Amino acid sequence: MNNGSVKVLVTSGRTLSQGRAMEKGKMTSDYENAVAVCELDSTAMESLGIKNGETVVVKSDIGEIAVKAKLNKQLVPGIAFIPCGPYFNFLLDSYTQHTGMPGFKSLTVSIDAAPGAKILTVEELTKMIKEAT
Amino acid sequence: MTEANNIFKDVPCTFCGCLCDDLIIEVDGDRIVKNTNGCPISKERFVGHTENRCLQPTVNGNTVTLEKAVERAVELIASSKRPLIYGLSSTENDAQREAYRLAELARGVVDNTTSVCHGPTILGAQESGEAAASLAEVRHRSDLVIYWGANPAAAHPRHIPHYIRQPGEYIKDPKQDRKIWLVDIRATTTARMADRFIRIEPGTDLEVLQTLRALIRGNKLDATEVGGINITELEEIAAAMKSAKYGTLFFGLGLTQSWGRHRNIDAAIRLIQDLNAHTKWGMMPMRGHYNVSGANKTSTWVTGYPYAVDFARGYPRFQPGEYTAVDMLARGEADVLLNIAADPVAHFPRAAVSHLMKIPVINIDPKINMTSQVAEVNIPAAIAGIECDGAATRMDGLPLYLRKIIEPPQGVIPDRDILRMMIKSLEKVMK
Amino acid sequence: MTEHLVLKNGVVFDPMNDVDGEVMDICVSNGKIVEKVPGNAKVIDLKGSTVMAGGVDPHSHILGSKLNVARLTSPEVNRYHPYPATRKTRSGVAGIIPSSYATGYLYSAMGYTTVVEPALPATKALGAWEEIEDIPGLDIGMLPLFCNSMISFKYIEEGDISGLAAYIAWTLKKVGGLGVKVVNPGGTYAWAYGKNVCGLDDEVPEWDVTPRTIMTGLSDAVQKLGLPHQMHFHPTNLGKPGNVYTTMQQLDALKGTKPSGKKKETVHLTHMAFDCLGVVEEGMANWKDVASGGLTFADYYNKNKHFTTDLGQITFGQSMTMTGDGPFQHSLYLMTGGKAKWSNIPVDVELPGGAGIVPFTFEPKSSANAVQWVGSLEFALSVKDLWRLFLSTDHPNGGPFMKYPLLMSWLMSKKQRDLWLEKVHKFASERSTLAEIEREYTLNDIAITTRAAPAKILGVEKTKGHLGIGADADIAVYGFNPEKTDLAKNPDLILKYFTQTKFTFKGGQQISKKGVIAKQLPSRVISVHPELNEDLSRRIDRELEEMMSKWFSHSFSNYPVPKRYREHLEMPTVIDATSIQA
Ligand code: SF4
Ligand SMILES: [Zn+2]
Repeated sequence: MNNGSVKVLVTSGRTLSQGRAMEKGKMTSDYENAVAVCELDSTAMESLGIKNGETVVVKSDIGEIAVKAKLNKQLVPGIAFIPCGPYFNFLLDSYTQHTGMPGFKSLTVSIDAAPGAKILTVEELTKMIKEAT
Repeated sequence: MTEANNIFKDVPCTFCGCLCDDLIIEVDGDRIVKNTNGCPISKERFVGHTENRCLQPTVNGNTVTLEKAVERAVELIASSKRPLIYGLSSTENDAQREAYRLAELARGVVDNTTSVCHGPTILGAQESGEAAASLAEVRHRSDLVIYWGANPAAAHPRHIPHYIRQPGEYIKDPKQDRKIWLVDIRATTTARMADRFIRIEPGTDLEVLQTLRALIRGNKLDATEVGGINITELEEIAAAMKSAKYGTLFFGLGLTQSWGRHRNIDAAIRLIQDLNAHTKWGMMPMRGHYNVSGANKTSTWVTGYPYAVDFARGYPRFQPGEYTAVDMLARGEADVLLNIAADPVAHFPRAAVSHLMKIPVINIDPKINMTSQVAEVNIPAAIAGIECDGAATRMDGLPLYLRKIIEPPQGVIPDRDILRMMIKSLEKVMK
Repeated sequence: MTEHLVLKNGVVFDPMNDVDGEVMDICVSNGKIVEKVPGNAKVIDLKGSTVMAGGVDPHSHILGSKLNVARLTSPEVNRYHPYPATRKTRSGVAGIIPSSYATGYLYSAMGYTTVVEPALPATKALGAWEEIEDIPGLDIGMLPLFCNSMISFKYIEEGDISGLAAYIAWTLKKVGGLGVKVVNPGGTYAWAYGKNVCGLDDEVPEWDVTPRTIMTGLSDAVQKLGLPHQMHFHPTNLGKPGNVYTTMQQLDALKGTKPSGKKKETVHLTHMAFDCLGVVEEGMANWKDVASGGLTFADYYNKNKHFTTDLGQITFGQSMTMTGDGPFQHSLYLMTGGKAKWSNIPVDVELPGGAGIVPFTFEPKSSANAVQWVGSLEFALSVKDLWRLFLSTDHPNGGPFMKYPLLMSWLMSKKQRDLWLEKVHKFASERSTLAEIEREYTLNDIAITTRAAPAKILGVEKTKGHLGIGADADIAVYGFNPEKTDLAKNPDLILKYFTQTKFTFKGGQQISKKGVIAKQLPSRVISVHPELNEDLSRRIDRELEEMMSKWFSHSFSNYPVPKRYREHLEMPTVIDATSIQA
């Protein structure tokens, strides 16, 4: 069943595979696989009606982007996680509260199921931002 | 190098702020074949060091000589009004020192990645000081270790196994005599390694820290719950912190990047200071890039300030929120970016990235990264700690000497030498 | 490069060579002072100027992690003091804790050419060498700390002075140190347990050592090695009213150390202003009853010749306290009601409790501060032998080194002292005899206490602190004619002339003129390398590898500072310590 959007607080951070892939190279598919991901708790997965590995679209005030959904049983409802990297940052505003630091840890988004939607490669993502400027 | 199976011992790992210096690196010919003791990320860094490399200088995608690339870079900097130099945390100290010289000469801004990791930690310390810790002392003495908003299992894989779950002079059994707690908004992989996981509601770090301060001072609070934690549990936590013999607080970006930012750190610092009236406590930021501590240190001794330094007036000025890279870009102020050993296109929020795509970018990095995709000038660099030597600073302030293990690819030189070439040529232009 | 130079007709003050205000020519060749130079030498006429050897400052915190933590946590103290770049020089900041380049330039402008960082955690020495690259124009020495190290404790516990001496020798060589610093022996270690020590025989947690055995063990080891500089000593009970008595007790306890060479002094008591607070008669050891300890200590100094000292003068206004005395720094923080920014930096194994940093403002109207201010002045004006004393502010603890001219003015001018006694809290007059003291330091006295004596105290008097043949051509030329200028009557002129030399020469090269840096010379490092005999050397290598591998969190082989950071800077003096038995 698909109940439409889920509203969550998404936080970003490091993961081991993101770290390793970053060392290997950002233009590799390893990197894309490591960071074009949104970890969700089981209730969110259920209400979106999606299975592990299916695509979701994450929408913030400034944009939306497709990433792969991943079940994380440790998460509590209301919180999602996207590894730090260009996919998360695409959704993030640049306001630093005059500290230099953007709000990497607290972004309110809504998530929709989008099975079959295309996940941009890192290169395509870069191109898209560039074209929009 | 043709010698087979050269073995290098006690090599510092140049990935994260742990700067583990016990790696054994084996070299066969011109390749690193084995990394013993390193964590998975470290192995990837050493054994995979030749992967995904940028090998030729380019200008607008066309391969050029190093001299030509430097010449173009200097042209861009010399003709700019507001140059921004950024990165520097994944390179060695000498490169950083040259970058300040270049910034001074170009009258530009120089910022390191601190502004998007532990910048708030520094701002908190500017408010309140800091009772720091050091890694051997934690191992020898600390009976209660708390990680707060940090996920070492992912970002500093050997922090716990190599430094903390180890016996010390006065902690004979690291499992029995030392407790590890984790405070976070989600149960990360680190939670599995900890003796206790304390989940707090997102964005409540400041309240929880201040509550603990109040409880430690013996105040009664008219609340049943703070940050999703029952007040009796908080009381028990406060009592445990007070009765620890030697406590240590390691904190990560969960505290610096979340709601409250430097105010969270300020509260954490004051909490630790308060605790020192009762017992011994210290704290340490979990510094990410292997030499981001070094970047703060070199910037501090050369310019007087740890990051976000502007030379527009011919002397250093410091102002986070103004001369920090994200703000400089998001405001549309920088008109050229020299990026050294970082990847702002991958790690900055979108408006900053959008502006960066509108201005000329000079990118110095050993590897192809997202920023290289948009840079007008790309200059490959040797990897510090693998292909050139240098010095770096561990998260607790310990300086370590980085090794050159093997030759860099043909024609590729260290960051510091590229920057020296740029300085020399800019000096001529400025005359 | 051969460069010959004659400095003609200056009025020279060179107390080490008994020259007190004589008009003389000084010949310089290849960076050294020589008898004569070839006819083509460059001539500079210094008629009507005062000439002294370059200043020597054996106690000034100009580098290291504590200073960088201070800069990092307190940008506000530097913000209003920009130091712009010029064609020849780098920019920086020049508040009370100037950035590295500015530190070098400001010392050069004042005519100082040799400076010692007196608190180096040896583990962090690599960083110190890197910083020196960015502090131009000086000869720099560093004193590693040995007083709260578990390794020292192990040898002291076993009464093994040979082992202790060998550990010191090993460290000085591996990191490039000049001597041995001792700070609150045992107290900083106890601070790792939230404790401190105060009595000579207090217990130190976990170890069978006491402040007494630590300080005497280390001073014995220094003499055994025959180091040129005696143990550099920051006693226990720093900054406590009445500590002049415990300081004298500690100095008494150190009398047992036999001098190994010609030099009679076996200990240097540093920043006496912080160590020699008295109390009023029948008073208690608290701030209410604090009085100058200056006379008491001067009396002790005049009678006991086994030690030297420096002032650590407080100068009022903003300062930055930083010491390897963690518990003292914490108590200072508590004194501010917990309002001050308190930083603490433990260092693996060598300083477990940690160094501390607290910004502090010394207020003229504070009775406690006024009494501390007056005590060291009273002392300096009451001692007979100036050759065992040098001027310092314990930069930046009592105030920045840029305030040395102010300190000189207090010593040189009764008029200046009277002016200041008016400005400060009345206890300065009531609880000291300063108002009655007529003595005024002469220029010769200033030359002794800012160059000749500190050079001797450091044990570098062969080449530093004087203008005789064979000395390094480090020369300060001040723009006043001593025969025509009454400095005592015009204290403002003391500030004016001593803040900026007319010329400063370093190694025969003119590096500054009227405060403007003419040439940026790289600094050099003076160090001491004691040679041990083979048996002891082998033994210490083995024992240190075992202890360091067990206790430090980094690899033993990564402890020494690599050659690449040292070769081009270091001028080691090799001393023979092979007679120490394994
Ligand atoms: S924990 Fe960090 S420094 Fe240590 S081996 Fe892993 S990546 Fe390298
Ligand atoms: Zn000092």
